[in-house]
Amino acid sequence: MTYPTQLVELIEEFQDVEDQMERLEMVFEMADEVVVLPVDSWSDTTRIVGCQSEAHVYVVLQEGKVLISGGADSQLVQGLMGILTIAINGSAPAQALLLSPDFAQEMGVLNSLSPSRSNGFRNMFDKVMLEIRGLEA
Amino acid sequence: MALRDDFPILQRQVHGHPLVYLDNAATTQKPQVVIDAMNDYYTQSNANVHRAVHTLAGEATDGYEGCRTRLKTWFNAERAILTSGTTEAINLVAHAWGRANLTKDDAIVLTEMEHHSDIVPWQMLAEERGVEIRYVPVLDDYSLDMEVYEASLEGAKLVCVVHTSNVLGVRNPLETIIQLAHDAGAKVLIDAAQGVPHDRIDFDAFGPDFMAFSAHKMCGPTGIGALLVRPDVFEEMEPFMGGGDMIQTVTIEGSTYQTNEHKFEAGTPRIAEAIGWDAALGWMEQLDLKHEHKRLLEIARYTAKELRSLGMTVYGRHDDQDSAVVSFLHPTLHSEDLAHLLDAVGFAVRTGHHCAQPLLTRLGISSTVRASFYFYNTMDEAKSFVAQVKKILERFA
Repeated sequence: MTYPTQLVELIEEFQDVEDQMERLEMVFEMADEVVVLPVDSWSDTTRIVGCQSEAHVYVVLQEGKVLISGGADSQLVQGLMGILTIAINGSAPAQALLLSPDFAQEMGVLNSLSPSRSNGFRNMFDKVMLEIRGLEA
Repeated sequence: MALRDDFPILQRQVHGHPLVYLDNAATTQKPQVVIDAMNDYYTQSNANVHRAVHTLAGEATDGYEGCRTRLKTWFNAERAILTSGTTEAINLVAHAWGRANLTKDDAIVLTEMEHHSDIVPWQMLAEERGVEIRYVPVLDDYSLDMEVYEASLEGAKLVCVVHTSNVLGVRNPLETIIQLAHDAGAKVLIDAAQGVPHDRIDFDAFGPDFMAFSAHKMCGPTGIGALLVRPDVFEEMEPFMGGGDMIQTVTIEGSTYQTNEHKFEAGTPRIAEAIGWDAALGWMEQLDLKHEHKRLLEIARYTAKELRSLGMTVYGRHDDQDSAVVSFLHPTLHSEDLAHLLDAVGFAVRTGHHCAQPLLTRLGISSTVRASFYFYNTMDEAKSFVAQVKKILERFA
């Protein structure tokens, strides 16, 4: 599929790295890209269910554009949230909804995208998309 | 090392590094003889069992029933019902024995250490029948509170207890648990999924009424397991699933049932898996299980000690009868992050609640990293594992 330019650049950056440990380190660094949702705003509504880590995400529309904020106690999960932030924050909801989760596999940072109890990224991605659909309705 | 050569998967690389497989409490790898046996069945003998007279059907039936015969010999048991695994075996007890023998106000005793598969079926039955569930707490030294256990036996009909914890590796005092339960008139179900891979149990001498376990945790295929049942208790079980193979006759008015294990094996069974399991047990016959268990415990003790020196909290105690499972947590680096980073250099470990949330809640945590060792693991792998954990902590923690 066609990804937003900023995501395409990120995918290429990750694909240029051969060492998996280095690639994961890059994901860890993406944790800083997350618009922080303060811990005292974490609730059952923001919780990403099915994530091994304690991870939360909050989605709103600001001037008609998607704004996600969140946080996680796993650096990797928060890093993936950072990548998702780069991919869709500031997009129109309809445009954000076109995004496929495949980019995480293309970047070589996840072994599987199948929904499962251990797949924090997939559960996070699905929750964000569900909430955007809700905001759009 | 000859034993490792039997496992083709150990030759593979993960992210450019040799695979070090330390997720054996989840599932074990399969020796070539198991893969060959299943492949031979599909390429040479594939047919349905029990119902036809042709050559292939005979070979398939002999293969399937050969597994049962091997299990009965291996475990010294008179009745071995083949199931899809430990979970189905426990559910079978709940449905086939529980529904026929438990009524409102009867009590079942469980422990806080149980796997979800030995909790949820009983909660479902309790909800349906009004059966009371009593839980035996886990103490700070990871043992069961035996005082509470004894007290909880008053009026209990069934005790369900895990042989060896999949999180802690702790082996429970089963001989005492069984004796006390029987003295109180309660039946005993042992969840032996983590026990049978390390211990060749004599079911008859050991004395529980039911014992459930899976093939895939002892070098066999996924999708098959067994429920061993004492003969007198077997007669107290009513059919659970209806269908082909479990009947003697079917008329418009009603059906009569088989009187042997087939009564609980409705439908076409897992033939290739049974043949694979038989081959796995055949392969295990060559091992000195006691020697292997001792060797693996030494590896686990070394790993636990080294991880503690790196600042990890290690859960479990690694006594002589415990299994070679090392569950641990770092104070700041999340278990999931550590597992991903270890995978990046070829180490397969498990993270999460390990389907034992009540136990983790008791321990005050929500997940651990778990390294679990089996026959093909070596002390060199453990040393390499510890060295990698150290490197990761230096870089990421």
